[in-house]
Amino acid sequence: MNFSLTDDQSSVLSGLDQLLGQFDEPGVRHAVTHVYSAALAEALAQAGFLDVAREAGFGALDAALLVERVAREPHVVEAGASALIAPILPIDAGVRPIALLSGDLTGVARFLPVASLLVVDRGDHALLLPVDRDKVEPVETLLAYPYGKLAEVDPALGTRFEDVKAIRRRWRVALAAEAAGCMAAALAAVIEHVTARFAFGRPLGSLQAIHHRLAMASETAESTRWLALRAAWSDDPADAAVAAGFAQSRIAQFTYDLHQFSGAMGLTLEFPLHLWTYRLRALASELGGASQQARELAKTVWGEAA
Amino acid sequence: MREDIAAFRQQARDWLGANVPAGRAPYDGAEGRAFALAWQKRQAEGGWAGIAWPREVGGRGLSVLEQIVWYEEYARAGAPSSLNALFVGLNHAGPTLIACGTPEQKAFHLPRILKGQSIWCQGFSEPGAGSDLAAIRTRGRVEGDHLVIDGQKTWSSFADVADWQELLVRTDPHARPAQAFTWVICPMDTPGITVRPIKTMAGPYKYCEVFYDAVRIPLSHVVGGLNRGWPTAMSTLAYERGTASLGLLIALTMQVDAMLGDCPRSRALMLARLAQLSAEGAAIQAMAYRVALDSEQAVPDASASLVRLAFAEFGKKVQAAAIDLYGVQSAKARGAHGLGHDYLDAFSETIAGGTAEIQRNIIGERVLGLPKGPR
Repeated sequence: MNFSLTDDQSSVLSGLDQLLGQFDEPGVRHAVTHVYSAALAEALAQAGFLDVAREAGFGALDAALLVERVAREPHVVEAGASALIAPILPIDAGVRPIALLSGDLTGVARFLPVASLLVVDRGDHALLLPVDRDKVEPVETLLAYPYGKLAEVDPALGTRFEDVKAIRRRWRVALAAEAAGCMAAALAAVIEHVTARFAFGRPLGSLQAIHHRLAMASETAESTRWLALRAAWSDDPADAAVAAGFAQSRIAQFTYDLHQFSGAMGLTLEFPLHLWTYRLRALASELGGASQQARELAKTVWGEAA
Repeated sequence: MREDIAAFRQQARDWLGANVPAGRAPYDGAEGRAFALAWQKRQAEGGWAGIAWPREVGGRGLSVLEQIVWYEEYARAGAPSSLNALFVGLNHAGPTLIACGTPEQKAFHLPRILKGQSIWCQGFSEPGAGSDLAAIRTRGRVEGDHLVIDGQKTWSSFADVADWQELLVRTDPHARPAQAFTWVICPMDTPGITVRPIKTMAGPYKYCEVFYDAVRIPLSHVVGGLNRGWPTAMSTLAYERGTASLGLLIALTMQVDAMLGDCPRSRALMLARLAQLSAEGAAIQAMAYRVALDSEQAVPDASASLVRLAFAEFGKKVQAAAIDLYGVQSAKARGAHGLGHDYLDAFSETIAGGTAEIQRNIIGERVLGLPKGPR
């Protein structure tokens, strides 16, 4: 595993930063709770970023780098499934956004109200269902992502896909990469705040109680990022379970600490922290949560008996 | 158990069974105000307001034990959350007036609070003075028989629907905190006051900014004496850290019991987590009851911070477990104001009323007697 970006990766991320910079609208940061940006999704797709893993010489690691970087934005777009899962599915490039679901076909799925395709983990196989958005019922959650469900589904309309384990593996990588990006952005916002904000005659960030817990938050963010990238690089199911499970197990403490040091200001929509808090909370519950990833890891390492 | 307490419990249970409003209580805005006042009025008419408040101000003059029993039955009956627009009046302003108010202030305000005729908000925090309350800059100048107020307060819950505010202002710019501030009753309809609601990530409007531009308040509204606002404010905060959260704590422990009942037996890890929370809740409840019962003799001491700290952290853990138990998709479907709201709003528990870090400082210095750390 190489810990430095290749020239190609640097070039892709530099281009991505340029594109994201054009979407840096301050208004988005401070006024709204639901910030799905169809325009940014379209721009990413048009520039080919969401198909990076399909390009010769690129793969899942490059897609994970992209997902992590995009997740730092205040806007929400569906990048994880499009960049990391779509390339392994029997679908044409450009079918996106993609919503993911486990179990019941009528369950609540992230991105379903804007999705073109719903991928459902049915246990021993996956079902790929084209989405008629007019039939999606939006589900309000307060958690930034557009959520929705289908009242009824005809499984006969779907395409059966056997390698459901590959979908789960990539789903975990995407989740961890997205969490890493959210954590990095949230931490940066809070560090800026505690550096500028004074209390008791000194910068808030100089107080040891704050120092220590932000140092721990930094360890969480960095660890999540490296575990996500390692899992993308190895494309190994155990690494993927470790990455997703680690991220999910740390999210509660991470978000509480960051909000604690942003004070009451951090609870308002006038401070951007909530944009990532919402998303991290949603990611913490996906795929059954941290305990499910731990069980998956045990099964992968020790077999079904674990 | 004393027989009279058992009888009191049964009466409370019967009354609540017949009177608790059905459905979800509206929370913010004019609708939330109207609901909170009507529900308080109903409790007062039923003889269930101010259970431990003195008789001469309209209370029932009973002991804290009866108050605790009422809280328990209130939570068991699924009555509307007491963390509403009436919370400051019933739990901060009221007790502070009982302890420090003039006879006229008590006679005017306390019955109105109990009967559901007035709503209070708090005006302590400022943009540059939250945990560091001594940094308050909102000024009060004495002009004749009035205080003239200029400045800004923030995080004032329900200020947009309040009639009165417990307002802490700097009246001596040069003195140390103990002699620098004045605690004054501010009528919210006084000319020069502007209120701006702040939308939070938890959904409903609750917090507000309040701006004061040459606001004139009669000196007769001062509580505890001019420049004596700091000790007056500290008694308010002591109540908040001690007994004010008791009803909320009891409701929270019952929420854990309900979650244990709802949790599928197949979810072993969740069951273990809830059992742990149940034990934690029982421990905090024991500490809180001790502080509450002691408060009959005196204003709660610094050990009340143990309860405040534990309760705040507990609230966050319970709401986190709730959203994990019921799922993100039910984020607006369950809980007092929706699970998503309850989860996100719980973030404020360790910030409001003195951050968890401030509580830890108080515990370290005043309970354990440790040397003061740098501020």
